[in-house]
Amino acid sequence: MFDSGMKKNDIFEKFEKLAERYHGVATLGTQPFGMVFDEILSPTRARVGSREVILAGTNNYLGLTFSEACTTAAKAAIDHQGTATTGSRLANGTFREHLELETALKAYFNAASAIVFTTGYQANLAAISALVGRGDHLLIDADSHACIYDGCRLSDAETIRFRHNSPEDLAKRLSRLPDDGARLIVVEGLYSMLGDVAPLAEFVDVASEHGAFLYVDEAHSVGCYGERGRGVAQAQGVLDKVDFLSGTFSKSFASLGGFCVSRHESFEYTRLVSRPYLFTASGSPANIAAARAALATIAGSDELGRRLWDRANQLHSGLRAAGFEPASAPGPIIALPRADETTAVREWNALLEAGVYVNLAVPPATPQAKSLLRLSVSAAHSESEIDQILEVFNALSDLVS
Amino acid sequence: MCNVQDSHVFENVSKILKAHAHADILITPDVRISADLEIDSVEIFDIVMEIEDIYDISFPVEVASSIDTVRDLVETIGQLTNV
Ligand SMILES: Cc1ncc(COP(=O)(O)O)c(C=O)c1O
Repeated sequence: MFDSGMKKNDIFEKFEKLAERYHGVATLGTQPFGMVFDEILSPTRARVGSREVILAGTNNYLGLTFSEACTTAAKAAIDHQGTATTGSRLANGTFREHLELETALKAYFNAASAIVFTTGYQANLAAISALVGRGDHLLIDADSHACIYDGCRLSDAETIRFRHNSPEDLAKRLSRLPDDGARLIVVEGLYSMLGDVAPLAEFVDVASEHGAFLYVDEAHSVGCYGERGRGVAQAQGVLDKVDFLSGTFSKSFASLGGFCVSRHESFEYTRLVSRPYLFTASGSPANIAAARAALATIAGSDELGRRLWDRANQLHSGLRAAGFEPASAPGPIIALPRADETTAVREWNALLEAGVYVNLAVPPATPQAKSLLRLSVSAAHSESEIDQILEVFNALSDLVS
Repeated sequence: MCNVQDSHVFENVSKILKAHAHADILITPDVRISADLEIDSVEIFDIVMEIEDIYDISFPVEVASSIDTVRDLVETIGQLTNV
């Protein structure tokens, strides 16, 4: 039935170049894009084969994954509500705990509306695609996360990119737009790859000057910035001016799920039209319970945040002393741009062999086609664990050669 | 339809593409930006930003993603600057 000429219709042919690159990376050591942890020992330690490694690439910023509060709440939720919700909230009903989490989020952010989604990815997909449609305009930061791009694609609005973290460039692009249609600006609080922070106060001004709404994804920054971890907008004094703030439970909240809160009560209607909310199951009871417990911990004290910043400053200054140039100011994400992909992969392997796991990030997932070693700091890192990480970085050039 | 190859826009675009291309081939209107010049999707977006600044226009992301050949790019610039 298939003659050899069919090869050109091979559905997998397009993966050939990618496969070559994927397998090529593995020839330099461990496959970085198929990393397996054989046992998770704590928020900061895991076993890989026979080796114990310090985890410095988890996004477990507050280290709550093994906290008494989160694990107890998750176990109790399984005992009392079972392992799954088995359906979407609109079609199959809402578990009371989802509503309680939404109420707690409203109180935490002083918002008029809060909606919980199954993941952070879906939160952006759901909110962005529901808020704007044909005839409207989306203006997004050029370095936006993939789920923001995907949310834009799912909406029927025209999407315009502006230069990363540039309120001036945004203003220029806004002034080129026709007068009709709604305008939604989408930025992040803390950028996940380079760890740089957005000038949100300036974006708020540009938004109001041009009659636009402002949407901020604080996936990485809630829990880490602002009073009681309310995020970068709160830290910059503009939380009450941001129209929509989204986030995730998968990082500081030690769970799985996402949310979007708004100062506009009408945001509630998103539930009725948003496909990534309507046509997928709601978060599992254990995930909702863990997120709720984490929120209570975060809202209750700045202690973990302080610990996180102490460790972040220690790691950042130690890396600089070791001759590395972090891409951004100290913070929970510390990215080290490397000369090229091969250098980054070699160093990544040497670090792993010396017992330190970091993230390897390469184009096209990185801004400006950079190859990065990306570290994330956790409040659960001890001072001596950061010292051990730094010891390995100090020896890195020897380890590689 | 104007002659793409002789246009001033084509000349400008060729210069920009040449600086970003990973494959060393002659740039003609029918050259495919990603397949032939080996410029990945993220780089194409950056090139589009450069072009937007030169011509003071905005390319919707949807339009930028559908650009395949150099001709597509030149014609899109023509459309956006004529409105
Ligand atoms: C900026 C940003 N937004 C959203 C997400 C998605 O979050 P989640 O892991 O909950 O889907 C991520 C995480 O990868 C992110 O970096």
